[in-house]
Amino acid sequence: MSRLRDKIAVITGGTSGIGLAAAQRFAAEGAFVYVFARRQEELGKTVASIGRNVTGVQGDVRKLEDLEKLYARIASDGRKLDVVVANVGAVNSVKLADVSLESFNHNFDTNARVVLFTVQKSLPLLNNGASIILTSTIASLRGFPGRSAYAASKTALRSYARTWTMELKDRGIRVNTITPGPCDTPLIDAETKSPEEAAAVRAKHAANIPLGRMARPEEIAAAMLFLASDESSFVSGSELLVDGGMCSV
Amino acid sequence: MPKFQEKVALVTGGSSGMGLATAKRFVEEGAFVYISGRRQLELDKAVSLIGRSVAGVQGDVSKLADLDRLYARIASEKGKIDILFAGAGIVDPQPLAETTEESFDKVFAINTRGLASTVKKALPLLNDGGAIIVITSIAENKGIPGFTAYSATKAAVRSFVRTWTAELKDRRIRVNAISPGPIDTPIVEQQAPTKEGADQARAQFAAAVPFGRLGRPEEIASAALFLASDEASFVAGVDLPVDGGMSAL
Repeated sequence: MSRLRDKIAVITGGTSGIGLAAAQRFAAEGAFVYVFARRQEELGKTVASIGRNVTGVQGDVRKLEDLEKLYARIASDGRKLDVVVANVGAVNSVKLADVSLESFNHNFDTNARVVLFTVQKSLPLLNNGASIILTSTIASLRGFPGRSAYAASKTALRSYARTWTMELKDRGIRVNTITPGPCDTPLIDAETKSPEEAAAVRAKHAANIPLGRMARPEEIAAAMLFLASDESSFVSGSELLVDGGMCSV
Repeated sequence: MPKFQEKVALVTGGSSGMGLATAKRFVEEGAFVYISGRRQLELDKAVSLIGRSVAGVQGDVSKLADLDRLYARIASEKGKIDILFAGAGIVDPQPLAETTEESFDKVFAINTRGLASTVKKALPLLNDGGAIIVITSIAENKGIPGFTAYSATKAAVRSFVRTWTAELKDRRIRVNAISPGPIDTPIVEQQAPTKEGADQARAQFAAAVPFGRLGRPEEIASAALFLASDEASFVAGVDLPVDGGMSAL
């Protein structure tokens, strides 16, 4: 269990769902993990759940000065970075006719703009051979009603992976997207009114997935581990789909 | 804890290049591996190199009788297959204007029909929950002079992965492809008759890769390991580029 031994990772949006699972798995594989998130209480719980080789840094990815503070903290700890996981995303469900300028800007701001600056500001700290992982969504590959701005803004990430692969190749830095399918998290229970309703939501997702079920966050984290580690040393500019076959059939 | 303890794997095209590297890696992870190939001498060398938990079975994937013999042996010795790596493939570059029927048919017989037969005949032995990995190629998505047949065979294999993901879902068998860029294997020699020619071909291939080098067969093996293992438990139907960023070009 040491596939990331001596590596330093930063994960934005690492206190819930996929980000949390990734932080836990990376730490279990020997990495030192910086978790960056907005809410101090969630950060505290995350750090406590992982126990060691983890530090929580509070901040809002949408504020450039908070990103600068994150990387200044890592630098002042005397560390460089081997893995950057840009995992924060803003999702909503709004049909085209009802999209407001505000909701449009929110999606593009958090999903497209923020990811660029998250990665840009990490550049001076990246070791040669570092791995950058951008969390996308299957919504960028399919037409899902209500996801106009969300899906379009996440599609930017696949493009970033290609552009940055070409820009950063001389430093051996790999850039890939990970594209999760529907993932089973406590959010489903939080957003439904009863266990029966939650079960119905899960069943509806599962019906569209060849593997017959939703993903567990640990399964997305395991795929992120592959991209973060030397096991994927010849993989860059790609999209790793982790969707139980949903988008391939 | 080795990932493939008690598992049985079959690697076609296992006596050289990517297949050999994959067979070696699977054995390191605890699997018993059958390797198949057309040339007995190369097979014997490969078995000797791997050293343990391996058996070589001579055969040509384009010949149904050879496949029957292969699977009869596995059935009687092990009774099951957990992982199938279909790595047998050839290249025979010919500009369209000079393409012969014989060359065209030969490439399709091995790369496409032979691969489909390999998977079809494995089905009775494959365990539910098992994994199938096939080899496509960056050529499937590129226009490369001389590669009419080869590129088409690989595009067909990518299509197989989608169809089989849908067909085998009730058995929870995950089918995925690895799409290699230029990899340093003896297939380069298939395309260049002299040592100087092969060296030149390697240099040309490397120049086309953003990373500036050919991939190592071990880098394909590590992607195969990921896809074959529980680490990829929610990865199905994908075509994973392992190409040093070449698909970002």
